[in-house]
Amino acid sequence: MKRFVLIFGAGVAMALLAGWVGFPRVLYRHQQQPVAFLHKTHAEKSGVAECSECHAFRDTGSFAGIPPLEKCAGCHSEKLGESPAEAALVDRYIKPGHETPWLVYSRQPANVWFSHAIHVQRGKLKCGDCHSNYGESDQVRIYEVNRISGYSRDIWGHSISRLHRAPHDGMKMSDCEDCHRQRHVDAGCLGCHK
Amino acid sequence: MKFSRRDLLVWSAGAAAGLALTPVPWKLLDDTSIWSQNWPWIPQPAHGPVDVKLSSCTLCPNGCGLRVRMANGSPVGIAGMASHPLTRGALCPLAFGAHQLNWHPLRLRSVRHRGSESSFEEAHAAFGKACAEGPVVVIDGYPGRAASAVLESFTAKKGEYRVVRGAESRALASYEKWSGVPAAALGYDIENARTILSFGAPLLDGWGIPGRFTRRWAESAGNADPNVRLIQVEPSLSRTAARAWQWIAIRPGSDAAVAGGIARVLVEEKLVATRGPMPPMTLTDVAARTGLEANAIRELARAMVGQTPAVAIASDYNPSVAALNVVLGAVGTRGGIVLRSKAVRSADSTDAAFASARAVLIDSSVPWEFVPETNAEVFRFAAWDGGSSKADWLLPAPGFLEELSDIPTAPTAGVETYAIAPALAKPPHTTHSAWQFLVAVDPSLDTPEKIIHSRCAELFRNRRGTLHASEEMPLAKIASPEKLEEQLSQGAIWVGEPQRSNSFRCELKEWPAEAGYSIQFGFPAAWSPPVLPLLASKLYEESNLRGTTEGRTA
Repeated sequence: MKRFVLIFGAGVAMALLAGWVGFPRVLYRHQQQPVAFLHKTHAEKSGVAECSECHAFRDTGSFAGIPPLEKCAGCHSEKLGESPAEAALVDRYIKPGHETPWLVYSRQPANVWFSHAIHVQRGKLKCGDCHSNYGESDQVRIYEVNRISGYSRDIWGHSISRLHRAPHDGMKMSDCEDCHRQRHVDAGCLGCHK
Repeated sequence: MKFSRRDLLVWSAGAAAGLALTPVPWKLLDDTSIWSQNWPWIPQPAHGPVDVKLSSCTLCPNGCGLRVRMANGSPVGIAGMASHPLTRGALCPLAFGAHQLNWHPLRLRSVRHRGSESSFEEAHAAFGKACAEGPVVVIDGYPGRAASAVLESFTAKKGEYRVVRGAESRALASYEKWSGVPAAALGYDIENARTILSFGAPLLDGWGIPGRFTRRWAESAGNADPNVRLIQVEPSLSRTAARAWQWIAIRPGSDAAVAGGIARVLVEEKLVATRGPMPPMTLTDVAARTGLEANAIRELARAMVGQTPAVAIASDYNPSVAALNVVLGAVGTRGGIVLRSKAVRSADSTDAAFASARAVLIDSSVPWEFVPETNAEVFRFAAWDGGSSKADWLLPAPGFLEELSDIPTAPTAGVETYAIAPALAKPPHTTHSAWQFLVAVDPSLDTPEKIIHSRCAELFRNRRGTLHASEEMPLAKIASPEKLEEQLSQGAIWVGEPQRSNSFRCELKEWPAEAGYSIQFGFPAAWSPPVLPLLASKLYEESNLRGTTEGRTA
């Protein structure tokens, strides 16, 4: 009996170790952003104070997302400094006129309709409520892509168990539902899946 | 210590038990479900700038106003246009998912000749040969468009032009017979009606232009004595019947008898000023036939004149209901059947046989379930393959919003309207419309684009009506025909002025014989479309909403 418990327990322990420690490492693949963009540097050196100065709303009210290359080219038409990131931006993208293929941490599946305008302008949410304080960071975050689903780890959240998460950690449908429930906003199915 | 086979099994059981206590099973389940949504052959909308364009729906002749959400130049979402003067932001469930139709697996992608792959060149050769050998019949399901004018022009030289009428248009056919005014020039002034007696017409559930009546009903439904009374005469408790001011349950197929009974009471009790022929059935006969008590029929007649204007609406061709309107004095008067245009010509319906035709060409606007009874060679244009087609040639046509079209007045509308639906999407493969096919045969024909130019110029010359865009603007304030066409192409809708005299003479010499009746079923039974977008099928399945019976094409 003692032997049975020992071997059974070893199986349980191995599985727990593999599931909680090994599995997340295997599941996610690391990718580097095409250019090491630092939000903090831009805020300090260019005097950009608000997220909306670069991540603006169009005249139509729709959200423009990541600024286009021409916005970067406004300052970086020539290299500003000697950093490898600066060289990569100017030589690979600005001079040839190719849009920078940024990896978007919060990219949702195509069947999700999300309006920044409704959440920010009508719902009065702050950018950091969903995107944390990334706008103040001085490091380039590693983009962790799920090998199976192809989406960023930010969607599931960094806690593999989804327990004890920070409020901004995770962008699954259940996270949207929780937030809507807390704020008593009913969007129904077609609110997001049009 | 030896590790036996038994130990391995125990260890595996332990590992399986342990695995259930980790996120692995649940996370894998979540990830694989997302992975299955992203298989490479599943079309995905391109990432890119998001834009909104205003347009009109081309799937059926109601021409509802659309707000089309475009991502990287492709439609990815549809919503109603709140500024549209008739639909006021409402749409049917099909239109909400119409952008998905173009990617439907049953999209017709190549020319098919009796089940085999063929080409447009071979179809042209076969059609040219047929034209040389005998007359051609061209069938249209959405008359009044610029494309329809091309089809009609072709047949003026080489054959006949026929129209497949929807149920709502067929309901107006009796007035055409009795007054000589084309049914296409008539409409319902339901905005001004105060009592509506519906004979099975799903007024709150998919009749006519979505939103036109439902909005008015919703606004007055909260009142104890609503300013519009809807009395639904129908055998079953349909959605409209359940929401109506009053539901009159009758025996199936006795609509005409009810209409006759009401008309008899109106005339006998002198409740109406106009006099008409007395229906042949006595009130006792009507009561026996319909299952209603004679007093209930009298009450119904009195309710009709208790709050006027009143009008009766049939769900399909029903001369007795039309005759009731004549007796009621609801024809050619405010709140009844009105003349909305004097410039509409009548077109032959498909009821007549095509005995001598050598070829029949069916436009993609014709509902899929329409099958011509003919031995002629059939050339059918369609964007989607609904299966079991009897057509000799199936020719891929542009799909939803893939070609320029204009939107003439909807069949039930009380005023004239005009809009333009520009091409917002590119067909994913080679397509030809019926009009393009005919222009290739006869290059002297005008193109729809040219006809739309001339229609805009004519509207501009007449200087009547209002342009509804983000705000209303009298047409007289538009600077040029080009400016008018530009505004219409950007989603504006022209609304004509009500005819100064929308009365017309409609004489009823004798009470009409009963026509065969049709019962309105819920959507799934009444209409078998070739395809449904995923979103619409979900909405229909969950809500059992009805599609309109007016010639849908998808």
